[in-house]
Amino acid sequence: MTKKSAGSTNRKVTRRTLVQGMGAAGLGAALGAPLSRRAFAQAKAPIKLSFWTFENPQQRPWVHKRVKLFMEQNPHVTVDFQWFTFGDLGKKISVGFATGTAPDGFVSQDWFMPTWMDKGLLAPLDVQRLGYSSFDAFTGDFASAFVKGATKEGKVYGYPLWFYGFCNYINTKQFKEVGLDPDKDWPKDWKQFGEVAKRLTIRDGSKFTRQGFKFAMHAAQWTMIQFNPILITHGGQWFDASGKCSVNNAAGVKAMTARASIAKQYGAEDPADSIATNPLPQMDWLKERCSMFWCHPIPLAAIKSQNEKMLGEGYFRPVQYPGVESGKGISTTYGFNLVVNARAPKEKQEALQDLYKFIMSDLVDCWKDTAPFTLARKSGWTDNPVVKDFPHVAEVIAAKDRGVFLPRTVVYAELADAMHRGVQKIMLTNGDIKATLDEVAAEVDRASAAYKKG
Amino acid sequence: MRYGQKGSLRRLWAQSRRWLGFIALLALTFAFIFPILWMTSTSFQAGEKMFQLTTEWIPSVWHPENYPNAWSRANFSQYFVNSAIVSIAVMAGNIVFCTLAGYGLAKFRFPGDRFVLLAILSTLMLPLEVTLVPTFLVIHQFGWINTYQGIIGPLLIDAFGVFLMRQSILAIPTDYIEAARIDGAGELRILWQIIVPQCLPALAVLAIFSFRDSWDQFLWPLTVVSLDQYRTYNLGLVQFGEDYGNPPTEQMAIAVLATIPVFVLFWILQRSVNKGFGLSGLK
Amino acid sequence: MASILTTNQAPGRDAARRPARPARRGWRLHYSRRIQLWGASFVLPTLLFFAVFKYGPMIWAVELSFTSYDMVSPPRSLGLENFENLATDPIFRESLFNTIVYIAGSTVLITLVGLGLALAINTAVPGARYCMSAMFLTNLMPILAVCLVWRFLLHPYGLMNQLLEPFGIDRVDWLTDSRTAMPAIIFVTVWRFAPYFMVVFLAGLLAIPDDYYEAAQLDGANAARRFWHVTLPLLAPMIFFVIVVSALLSARIFLMPYIITGGGPGNATRVLSMLIYETGFSYMKMGRAAAISVVLFTIMMVFTFLQMRIFMSREQV
Repeated sequence: MTKKSAGSTNRKVTRRTLVQGMGAAGLGAALGAPLSRRAFAQAKAPIKLSFWTFENPQQRPWVHKRVKLFMEQNPHVTVDFQWFTFGDLGKKISVGFATGTAPDGFVSQDWFMPTWMDKGLLAPLDVQRLGYSSFDAFTGDFASAFVKGATKEGKVYGYPLWFYGFCNYINTKQFKEVGLDPDKDWPKDWKQFGEVAKRLTIRDGSKFTRQGFKFAMHAAQWTMIQFNPILITHGGQWFDASGKCSVNNAAGVKAMTARASIAKQYGAEDPADSIATNPLPQMDWLKERCSMFWCHPIPLAAIKSQNEKMLGEGYFRPVQYPGVESGKGISTTYGFNLVVNARAPKEKQEALQDLYKFIMSDLVDCWKDTAPFTLARKSGWTDNPVVKDFPHVAEVIAAKDRGVFLPRTVVYAELADAMHRGVQKIMLTNGDIKATLDEVAAEVDRASAAYKKG
Repeated sequence: MRYGQKGSLRRLWAQSRRWLGFIALLALTFAFIFPILWMTSTSFQAGEKMFQLTTEWIPSVWHPENYPNAWSRANFSQYFVNSAIVSIAVMAGNIVFCTLAGYGLAKFRFPGDRFVLLAILSTLMLPLEVTLVPTFLVIHQFGWINTYQGIIGPLLIDAFGVFLMRQSILAIPTDYIEAARIDGAGELRILWQIIVPQCLPALAVLAIFSFRDSWDQFLWPLTVVSLDQYRTYNLGLVQFGEDYGNPPTEQMAIAVLATIPVFVLFWILQRSVNKGFGLSGLK
Repeated sequence: MASILTTNQAPGRDAARRPARPARRGWRLHYSRRIQLWGASFVLPTLLFFAVFKYGPMIWAVELSFTSYDMVSPPRSLGLENFENLATDPIFRESLFNTIVYIAGSTVLITLVGLGLALAINTAVPGARYCMSAMFLTNLMPILAVCLVWRFLLHPYGLMNQLLEPFGIDRVDWLTDSRTAMPAIIFVTVWRFAPYFMVVFLAGLLAIPDDYYEAAQLDGANAARRFWHVTLPLLAPMIFFVIVVSALLSARIFLMPYIITGGGPGNATRVLSMLIYETGFSYMKMGRAAAISVVLFTIMMVFTFLQMRIFMSREQV
C-alpha cells in the first residue's frame, strides 16, 4: 500500500494541509486497498489440482459441491475432479503412484493408509494450516481409533472425513407380518439372528421369494466389512502377534461357521442369488426381497429413490449387530481421509490443505446432504439440532462409537481377495470351512512374506 | 408300385424334408440370436422386471425413457466418441499397414522374406493379454498413459490382417504387375491402381473385423486409462453397472446402443464381406 | 541369381530355377534391387511396429520375470524365485489348469459346432443365407454386451433356468456352482465364436467342386460316407486352421470370465490372463505378472506346435 506523502519538502505544513493530507491518505488507503487486493489475487499464479474420490450418490456430489464453492472463492485454483467406483479407487491410485499419474490429492479409504504411508507416498499435513493449534489439538478432535490410522510419529498424514459403523437394517413391516415385534424381537445374538431370519424367509420350491437375511457377496470389500465384526466378536483376530494370519484358528472357524449358518443351517439366505445381481447391494433390502441387511448408514434419499412407500410409512429401522453374547454385538467401522500426494509440488500441497480446511469447515452442511453418514470429527456438528432430529440417529452413532476397525495392514488387497475367494468357496461350493480358511491364511502369509522382501 | 406314384412320393418326401429342414434351421438360428432379442426387449423394461421369475418377451409397459436416462447418468457421449476415435484409427491403421505388408510379402522376394513372414505370423502368439505388463511400461515410457495414442498404439496393426491381405494378394496374377512395371508404372501406382481394387473384398473383411476387435477392446483401455475423459464405452458400461442405483435394464439399453455401430458397418460392407469370405456361391 | 520378376512361386524354390538367359548386369541388377527395396519398405513399418509392441515387450517380459518390480522402486533381481513361487502357489496352479481346460474345451466345441452349423447351412434349405447372416450377427455383437446379457440369462432365476423348467430340471446355479461355472463360460464362448467359424467352414465347403460329390454318389456312397471320404479330407487344412485360431483365441480370453463370474466361485473360472492383470495391477507385482505371462506364452507356443505336428504327420500319411 503506497503511502501518499502528506507533503513534499518545501511546502509549508499547515494544520489544514496536514488534515487534507491525512484525508487524502485515508481515501487513498480506502480506495487502494481493494484495488490492490484484487491486483494481488490476480497476480497469484494459477494452480491446477487433480483430486480423486469414490462414487457414492450422496457423498461424492457433496464433496464436489464443496470443491466448486472453493474454486469460486479462490479463482486462481482449478480442480480436476474425478471419481471411481468404491472398489476400484485403491487400484487406480496404486497404478497412478506407480506411473507418476496419481492425483495431487484424493480421498483415501482408511484401509489403504498403511500401504501409502509405508511407501512414503503421502505428504504430512500442516495442522496449523488446517486450523488447529497443535498436533494434540488435532488428534484430540477425533476418536483415537479413527485418527490412529492417519498419524505416524507425531505427524498427520490424513484429515479424517467420514467414519461410520454398519447397522442391521430391518424391515419392520415384514417383522410384524410374521408375528415379531420389531422393537423387542430384533436379533441380539447369533442364535436369535438365525431363527428370526428363518422365520422371515419365504420360499417357493427352490426359489426364494424373500430372504430373511442377505450377505452381499459381489465384492471383496463387502466380504471384509461383513466378516470383520463376526471374527472379532467370536474372539478371533486377523493377524497374531507375530504377523501371521490367524483367521484359521479355532475362533476364526467358529466365526465363519456362524456366518455360514444363516444359509446352511437356517436356510434363510440364497448365496447364489447374491452374486452378479444388484450392484447396489442394499437393493434387495430396499425392494423388500430380504428382511434384514447389514449396511452402512442409508440416506433417506437412497430409500426414497427405490422404495417411496418404505420411506413414507417409515417401516424400517437400524439396529445393532448380533453378538456372541446377547446385546453385545459390535459393528464394523471404516472411514475416509483427505490426503495429499507427497510428490505434488509445494504450492499444490498448500492449496490442497486450504481446500481440505474449506471442505471440512461446514460439517452441518455435510450432514444435511449426506446424512446419516457420520463424520469422524467430534466438533462442529454433533450438537446441531439438524443432526439430532434425524430418525434413528442414535443407533447410527452408537454403531460408529462401538465398532471395530477393518484391519490396517499393508497386504490389505491380498487379504480381501483371499477372504472373498474363501467365502465363495465355503458358501457356493460347500467347501470345508477349516480347510478353506487354512488356504486363505496361507495365501495371506505368502503375500506378507513377498511384501517384506520388497 | 407304379413309377409315377413312387416318384411323387419321393418328391413329397423331399419337399417335406426341405420344410422340416427349414424349421429346424429356423429353430437353430433362434437359439443363437435369442440373447440379442432378449437384450433389446429388456432394454425397454422397467428395472424391477429384470429379476422376475418369468420373462416377459414383449414388454407390457414400454419404457423408452431407459435410453435417455441411461445416457445421462454417465458421460456416454464422451465415451462413445472415444471408442469411435480409437476404432476408426485402428481400422485405418490396419487397412493401410496390413495391405502394404501383405503386398510386400506376397509379391516381392527379398533376403529374409520367409523369416519376416514367420516372424509376423508368430506375433499371433503375442496378444496383448500376454504382453500386458511390458506393453504398459512401454506406453508409460512414451508418456502415453491417458491419451488416445496410448490406447490406439498397440492395437494399430494385427498380424491376422497381414495374413489375410497376403492371401488375398497372392491370388492376383503377377503378370498384371509385371506388365505395369514394364509400362513404366511406379510401385505406388501399381499398388493403388492394380492391387487395391482387386482385393476390396478382403479389405472389407479386414475393415469390419479390425473395427469390431478394437470396438470390443476392454483389457487394454482398462489398463491404460484412468481419467474419465478418455474412457471408452466399455469401461463406462462396466462402471455403470457397478454404480449405485443404476437399473440393469438401463445397462441393457447402453449395450443395445453399443451394438448398433458394428451392425451398421457390417450392413454397409455386407456384400463385399460375403465375397471376401468366398461365400458368393451360397444360394 | 534368380530374377525378381519371376512369376509367383513359393519362396525358396526360386533358387532351384536358373534364369532362361544370363542376367544382364548393370541396369537390370539395379532395377531388381530397387524392386527388392520397395518390397522391404512396404513391410518395414509393420516390422518396426511389431518390434516395438510385440517383440520388445516379450523380451522385456522375460527379463522382468526374473525380478521383483512394483514400479515405485527399481527392479530387484530375484533369479528364478518368481517361477518357484508360482509352482507352489495353489491359485496359479488352479488358474493354469482352468486355462488348459478352457482352451481344450472351447477349441474342440467351437470346431465341432462351427462345422455342424456350416453343414446345416450348406443344405438346399430355403432361407439358409438369411439364417447364416443372422447367426453371424452374434459374432459381431460387442463382447461386453455378450457377457452382460449372459450373466443375466444364467442367473438362478434367469431365462435359461426358466426354459429348462418344463423339462423337469430344477434350478441350476450356472455361475455359482463350481461344477457348472467353467462349462457355462465355455458355452458362452462357443456361442460367441462358432458363427465366425461357421462362415469360414462354409467358404471351404463351397469351394469343394460338385463333381467330387457326384462321382462319389455314382460310386454308391451315401451321405455319411460322402462326408467322411470327400468333405473331411478336403476340408482338413481348414479344420486345422480353425483349431489353431480358436486355440489362440481361447488362450487369451479375459473378458468372459472377468465379467460373467469374476473368476469365481473361488477360483473355478480364474484363467491366466485374469491372474496376470490382477497380479500386475491390483497387487503391483509386475515381475511376478511377467512370469505368468511367460507361462501363458509358452502354453500358446506349445499348443501351436503340437497342432502343426499333428497336421504335418497327417499330411504325410
